[in-house]
Amino acid sequence: MSKRRLAFSKLNMAKYISHLDLLRCFTRAIMRAELPVVYSQGFNPHQKMTFSLPLSVGVTSSREFADIEFEDGISDSDIMKRLNLTLPPDIRILSVGAPEISANDIFAAEYEVTILSDSHCAELPDACKKFFAQPEVAIIKRTKKKGEQELNLMDFVESAEGFRECGDDARFSLTLSAGGQKNLKPEIAVEALIDHLSSQTDIKITGYNIHRTKILYDKNEPKEFN
Amino acid sequence: MQNYRRKYEDCLRRVQKPARYIGNEFGSVHKEKTDDMMTFAFCFPDVYEVGMSHLGMKILYHMLNERDDTICERVFAPWDDMEQEMRKNGIPLLSMESCSPVGGFDIVGFTLQYEMSYSNVVNMLDLAGIPLRTSERGSGDPFICCGGPCAYHAEPLAELVDFFILGEGEEVNGEIMDVYKEWRGSGKDRDEFLMSLVGLGGIYVPKFYDVEYNDDNTIKRFEPNRPGVPKQVRKRIITDFDNCYAPEKLVVPFMETVHDRIMLEIFRGCIRGCRFCQAGYIYRPVRERSVKRLTGIAENCIRNTGYEEMSLSSLSTSDYTQRQDLIDDLLDITVDKRINLSLPSLRVDNFSMELMEKIQKVKKSGLTFAPEAGTQRLRDVINKNVLESDLIRTSKIAFGGGYNRIKLYFMLGLPTETYDDVLGIAELAKKVIDEGFFTIPPEKRKGRSVSITVSTSFFVPKPFTPFQWEPQDLISEMEAKAKYLKENIRSKKIVYNWHNSDISLLEAVFAKGDRRLGEVLITAHSLGCKFDGWSDFFDYDKWIEAFKANNIDPAFYANRRIGYDEILPWDYADIGVPKSFFIKEHKRAYEGKTTPDCREKCSGCGAASFGGGVCFE
Ligand code: SF4
Repeated sequence: MSKRRLAFSKLNMAKYISHLDLLRCFTRAIMRAELPVVYSQGFNPHQKMTFSLPLSVGVTSSREFADIEFEDGISDSDIMKRLNLTLPPDIRILSVGAPEISANDIFAAEYEVTILSDSHCAELPDACKKFFAQPEVAIIKRTKKKGEQELNLMDFVESAEGFRECGDDARFSLTLSAGGQKNLKPEIAVEALIDHLSSQTDIKITGYNIHRTKILYDKNEPKEFN
Repeated sequence: MQNYRRKYEDCLRRVQKPARYIGNEFGSVHKEKTDDMMTFAFCFPDVYEVGMSHLGMKILYHMLNERDDTICERVFAPWDDMEQEMRKNGIPLLSMESCSPVGGFDIVGFTLQYEMSYSNVVNMLDLAGIPLRTSERGSGDPFICCGGPCAYHAEPLAELVDFFILGEGEEVNGEIMDVYKEWRGSGKDRDEFLMSLVGLGGIYVPKFYDVEYNDDNTIKRFEPNRPGVPKQVRKRIITDFDNCYAPEKLVVPFMETVHDRIMLEIFRGCIRGCRFCQAGYIYRPVRERSVKRLTGIAENCIRNTGYEEMSLSSLSTSDYTQRQDLIDDLLDITVDKRINLSLPSLRVDNFSMELMEKIQKVKKSGLTFAPEAGTQRLRDVINKNVLESDLIRTSKIAFGGGYNRIKLYFMLGLPTETYDDVLGIAELAKKVIDEGFFTIPPEKRKGRSVSITVSTSFFVPKPFTPFQWEPQDLISEMEAKAKYLKENIRSKKIVYNWHNSDISLLEAVFAKGDRRLGEVLITAHSLGCKFDGWSDFFDYDKWIEAFKANNIDPAFYANRRIGYDEILPWDYADIGVPKSFFIKEHKRAYEGKTTPDCREKCSGCGAASFGGGVCFE
């Protein structure tokens, strides 16, 4: 019996698969692959599976992580090969191995944000940059535990950089606090930006894309989680 | 096309349950479209999680996609929030697989499972930008067809639909594609395509028939208007059901659907002949699959889906002749894999302890029985062969076996019903508790308490049943009966709930309506009617407005007793059981005489002419 960490991508329309649906999707893919998986004890046994860091619905990702317990005698490469045959096309296993880093050490996640526009506007990247240069932006955060809270967005922004044009769109890299200690969903930051752009500028925004590029651990010496 | 995808994707950010619209599920079929391919949009006029629970859609989707020359893609009705986003952003109705506009498909097919989805058919055509009436469609438009049980009596859609498929799609759909292939590029006009379809049999083309009415609004004449069109279209069915196509790969949705499991279709049709039940007649004769074939299908479905639950699907599961063997074999292949086996539609009369214990090995859920009527007299009238003693005996077994919840289904407003029959429902439910539960010695009762849920729906007279000539109760009568029943249920252990009466009226109107209702549908759509099967959307007042605007009295269709000699709007369909049989059954109902089931004794309903199934067992 051993726990394996599966790195996988979640792309295209799969971004709209919720956490619960993803869990079910993996469970069924493992059944189809006939992999020897460990079940929990108790009245309603289920596969032992945890995701390292939840991903918001509507966000794609290059590299997500699921820890799943398998019976002995199945190799990492077999798990990867067989699951890639039984997972839906927009979810791909990238690697399988023993988990070394604890998900508790995660402190941030990096996103590539694209602000969509129908018409070209050279100022768009700069306008985004200026937004993140502000010392304080009030946001409302809703949690089940604490209800509605007004917070400063900038307390959650680790970095915002690489503002550039991309066709008519603007693109940049945004690193936000993530994990058990302090966490902000990226869409809250991006929607605050879009609110700002539509109220403070004439630029017409048609939508946005958010893509998680990496998860970071160890705040003192940030490294890519794996 | 790519353009729509980007906008469409962005809409999903603003709607509830975006997983309804994403497609790309495991098992979905994505084909490269080349010019020589034919395209079929399979539309389910309800939301994704309802449509994806429907077995027929799964069968026909995979079957059409097995053809190299055909692409079949799925289409569902977007929920209201998504529809508004789509309309606001100029996005037409799109298919799941390739996000292609539905209006660009060669054939657009709807499955009609219930009358209350008709407004969604209209709305989907509108959202697709397809002209609503057949008369308005031309060479650039797709052909619109409909199948499913309502296709046998779908005159209200006659002005909107090019052709109806009567019978089982597995039998006919491939031939339709063959005809289309021949026709395409032949330079022949749309009518010539439809004429070739008529030649296949099982295809009803409403525009090839003229209807005239009497002054009292009844039908005077209903005749083909060109040579080569039959007066009656006979349904097409599979005779060798054991060897016919069954999908062994299924689309596995991301989101939870209503029936989120493998559905193993063990037989088609029903041997019973409950006189209110249309399914019991239109699917005749009963045709079974063998245990060997079923276990084969089950094994493959388990391997290809990863589902954790499997249910047996049929109109009356415990009528399957080899049920003991089947359940033993299925348990062999499911238990080790932790797959739950569930058995819906159990009948009271042949429900055995042994069968129940076997299911319990896997899963114990509430039990559902449908006595349908509260007194033996009325059960005889409707030919529902359930005895009170059976129900009580079975409840006793169930309660003793640890079940603590039983649901009982009844109908209010059945022909000949009196208030004594209504009272009988309350009394029967009470007896199930008193005699089924309290006679068990306390030390032997498992679970501390039990509960009974009594649900009633209002009787809707349906075409192709012995009750097709019957009037429906007026809404006021329906409500009085429900109220009376409620007052007479006094036990705290019995919960009573009943279905909406307005919607039952609409159901009766559209089940028995004629083609003059097409304009009512179109008006209702323009007033915003859609998702009428959902209580959050159903708006009775709008429908009444639509009837008024078209000068049509719904009571004419729902609340009028029809004479045997009247021409019926569904006389175009020949389901294999002639009107004479229904007249005989209707008379027997009034005499309180029951009719044996097909296995007990054949009553010569006519379905033997299809040359298969139970008639030749
Ligand atoms: S012909 Fe007889 S056996 Fe066949 S379906 Fe009719 S009643 Fe049943």
